[in-house]
Amino acid sequence: MFVILVYDVNQKRVAKVLKTARKYLYWVQNSVLEGEITEANFRRLKGELSRIINQDEDSVLFYIFGSMKYSSRELLGIQKGGETNML
Amino acid sequence: MRKAIYLFSDGKLQRKGNTLYFESEGLKKYLPVEDVGEIFVFGEVEFNRKLVEFLSQNEIILHYFNHYGYYMGTFYPREHYNSGYMILKQAEHFSDQSKRIFLGRAIVKGSARNILQVLKYYAQRGKEVESNVELVENYLNKVTEAKEPNELLGLEGNIRETYYQAFDVILQDKTFLYEKRTRRPPQNYLNTLISFGNSLLYSAVLSEIYKTHLDPRIGFLHATNFRSFTLNLDIAEIFKPIIVDRTIFSLIGRKEIKKEHFEKGLEGFALTTEGKKLFITEFEEKLKTTIKHPELKRDVSYRFLIRLELYKLEKHLLGEKPFEPFVSRW
Repeated sequence: MFVILVYDVNQKRVAKVLKTARKYLYWVQNSVLEGEITEANFRRLKGELSRIINQDEDSVLFYIFGSMKYSSRELLGIQKGGETNML
Repeated sequence: MRKAIYLFSDGKLQRKGNTLYFESEGLKKYLPVEDVGEIFVFGEVEFNRKLVEFLSQNEIILHYFNHYGYYMGTFYPREHYNSGYMILKQAEHFSDQSKRIFLGRAIVKGSARNILQVLKYYAQRGKEVESNVELVENYLNKVTEAKEPNELLGLEGNIRETYYQAFDVILQDKTFLYEKRTRRPPQNYLNTLISFGNSLLYSAVLSEIYKTHLDPRIGFLHATNFRSFTLNLDIAEIFKPIIVDRTIFSLIGRKEIKKEHFEKGLEGFALTTEGKKLFITEFEEKLKTTIKHPELKRDVSYRFLIRLELYKLEKHLLGEKPFEPFVSRW
């Protein structure tokens, strides 16, 4: 499945959340990551994140897609990050 | 399915923040370690022990290529699916002449049948390759009689030569003439594409072997030796016509790959970085393409088809079901 992760957390925990999310997903721009992920890894990611964030203060959102078949992406301005397999 | 990452830029690959990080001039990129299955290194990439250890823990395979895009070697992490029993079975099938020749024949037959599918496809489209089809069929009939591995390798060579000669008729492109097979380094454009494609396929098969209990050091058609992996060469034979050669046909047919994508070195030709990228994009696309599997009755990608081939081989070695190579249907 394909997941878009958006987070808004206390500054103290931004780095931690980013570091964890980067293990599974590609960084797109500030507070946004995306990528293909397996069910198992998605569960692991959620587990790791819930141990980091403060449930009363922070917010992490996942947009979950079965596939990217019926979607398209538009960009205004510069491309900051995203998925690539050739560097 | 974990992805393949191709590194062309000169830079540094390292472990950072418990994931992978690639840095080169004006480029900083984190690669999600959980999403990476293999890394192909074409550029001047620096790395250290810490990185290799990290790759090993995460079962990530690293292939490296020389300037010509020629396969140089692989960092193959300590085997994760160790199976002494399977190694014994593999060795047994290698040492026993009759068992080895059975597998060797199966591989050559599979390869030849896939070659015939490609040729027949073009024959239907009005290309005059009937004589090549006939020749390949003749050689194919002799495969069953081959008694020795060397005889088999010879037949394999004949089949491939006949097949490559049909390329000129199929492609009808003066830039990409076959002439004769040349290697290390290849002497013309078409040979360069063939070599590069085969290199990529060898490493893709090796990556799949890593996910099974098989040991890549023991091959059957290609004799096991002191220096290299051979099982991946065996299995690659079956898939070359349907993966590598079709990639070449698409790229040349659509006129995507041009003279400018090659550079002449001191001894032969090589693809430029741009050319390699073009080829890899098409090659990856091919591996991702799915077909309806006749037995499994579901869509499987070509990459997974390679793995299924290895599972079949495992079953054969364990004596559960004789190995039947995959033959494309069109």
